[in-house]
Amino acid sequence: MLLDFGKLGSWKWILIAICTLTALFLLLPIVFIIALSFGSSRWLAFPPPGWTLRWYEELFADPRWIQSALTSAKIAIIVTILSVALGLLASFALVRGRFRGRAVLRAFFLTPMVLPVVILAVALYAGFLRLGINGTLTGFVIAHLIVALPFSIINISAALETFDPAIEDAAVLCGASPWEARYRVTLPAISHGLFSAAIFSFLISWDEVVLAIFMASPTLQTLPVRVWTTLRQDLTPVIAAVSTLFVVLTIVLMVATALIRKGTSK
Amino acid sequence: MTTPYLHIDGIRKVYGEVVATDHVELTIGESEFLTFLGPSGSGKSTTLYILAGFQDPTAGDIRLRGQSILRIPSHKRQIGMVFQRYTLFPHLSVGENVAFPLRVRRMGRAEIEEKVRNALALVRLSGFEDRMPSAMSGGQQQRVALARALVYDPPVLLMDEPLSALDKKLREEIQLEIRRIHQETGVTILYVTHDQDEALRLSDRIAVFNRGRIEQVGTGAELYAGPATRFVADFIGDSAFLAGRLATVSGNRASLRFPDGTVATDVPVHGGGTVDQEAELMLRPERIELTREPGPEGTTLPVTVQDITFLGNNTTVVLRTGWQQELSARLSFGHPLVGGIGRGDNLHIRWQPDVAQAFATP
Repeated sequence: MLLDFGKLGSWKWILIAICTLTALFLLLPIVFIIALSFGSSRWLAFPPPGWTLRWYEELFADPRWIQSALTSAKIAIIVTILSVALGLLASFALVRGRFRGRAVLRAFFLTPMVLPVVILAVALYAGFLRLGINGTLTGFVIAHLIVALPFSIINISAALETFDPAIEDAAVLCGASPWEARYRVTLPAISHGLFSAAIFSFLISWDEVVLAIFMASPTLQTLPVRVWTTLRQDLTPVIAAVSTLFVVLTIVLMVATALIRKGTSK
Repeated sequence: MTTPYLHIDGIRKVYGEVVATDHVELTIGESEFLTFLGPSGSGKSTTLYILAGFQDPTAGDIRLRGQSILRIPSHKRQIGMVFQRYTLFPHLSVGENVAFPLRVRRMGRAEIEEKVRNALALVRLSGFEDRMPSAMSGGQQQRVALARALVYDPPVLLMDEPLSALDKKLREEIQLEIRRIHQETGVTILYVTHDQDEALRLSDRIAVFNRGRIEQVGTGAELYAGPATRFVADFIGDSAFLAGRLATVSGNRASLRFPDGTVATDVPVHGGGTVDQEAELMLRPERIELTREPGPEGTTLPVTVQDITFLGNNTTVVLRTGWQQELSARLSFGHPLVGGIGRGDNLHIRWQPDVAQAFATP
């Protein structure tokens, strides 16, 4: 190998130093927040003068936080289901279809990924005003679905592309109707793609803040919006506690994805 | 006349401007092993896909025991098929793969278990029930695919170049397995290949496809000894073609004159019949005799030795005719000329009158 780690000599230490600094740069803010959430200082002093679970108690005692978390979860779950379902249908068309403009359509489906979110948010806000769905669950779901769908399509298309349609043909000759073949053979075979699509869609909706700020109403606020508005009024360690829980949930989901991927690739 | 078991009746398939198959006409007997042999794009796979129901023919019919199957959707045709690519269901174990057609048919658990066990025993993979397809070799995967296609006793088994992804040694091993399975089960097999050795090794009869049409149907020996067209002569076995013109024609026999003036007399001629038409004389290398003296007139030709290659059981001698056309002859091990001839020697070839054939150039 050209770049053999063992043959780098003193460069090795420089490489290690760069890697360590990068890791610290990425991880320190998170470690910092987690430490603060358990710190006893009301003013977020660091290092914390003492340790407490008080902010977590305050968090769970406040129905507004719980309400926002439930709203976030509800929206994220609906978005996940719709995103995977639509992503699956779109992927079938994009991967298996033989029609003019397929490449253009694929690029079109992926544009929400490259479009600045704030522009999308303004456009949706203006559009939803006419429809009267700003500040409603429907508005939220549509907005998040738009940014989640490209990730669904990418993951499901990738899985479908590596799946040989001849396998589906084989299932049909074995006596399964075309729909039964797709349901019993194709879907299980691309399940890792469906699962990745679901995790991505959920996480995108769960921690999305720009669109959510535009869509939110006083009675309908997602957790990131609540964090944002609370932060503007009052710098409380409860926010550190919320953030910590966020991080934990994300890590749990990522680990679950990795484990399931490992399981299916065996 | 009794109804044929399987009758492919004038199948024609057109894609836009391209004619994939044209008037494919064939009857297949019960328990027969018939191979579609031809180069890629010759229509053999298209015909198989129409049988499987993946494509509809533009015209024609396919009847199984006298009943047309074209209106029956693929999944109700009960046909078995082994594909060129590996098509085991990747998320199911070997046992579950073989059980799949039976589960779809809602068969009882005990019956499924017994049939799966028998099918795996048939392909000599007993005990592999719990293996995942990804943990098996290509040859094993194709044997599981064969078990899966046979487990529901299909009236016809289609095989679309199932061994083309395997290496030569493994291919020959599985060819023997397929023959044994055909003999044990008596299933009717339609097999597609572009490999003439494979076709000769496996089949009861071979249908040679070319440009969407069947050129000839017959046993391997029939095709080798009496090819009906130049294409069949060229595709099955090695052959030498010597270009000349028809000198005389009477009925379906003719004499050919070569550019150096030599004449081959009284050979059967296919596909033509006017004097001075271009034609080729076909000779099989192992039927060409090489001698120092010319043979009887009309069955002999002067040649020059170009190259000599020792190949173990035979010695191949590359020869050149007076008009610079190359052909080869095979001398069996121990032939008196081997060792006694060298490059540049002037010799003669001769042939028995009944082994030569001529094909008129259309």
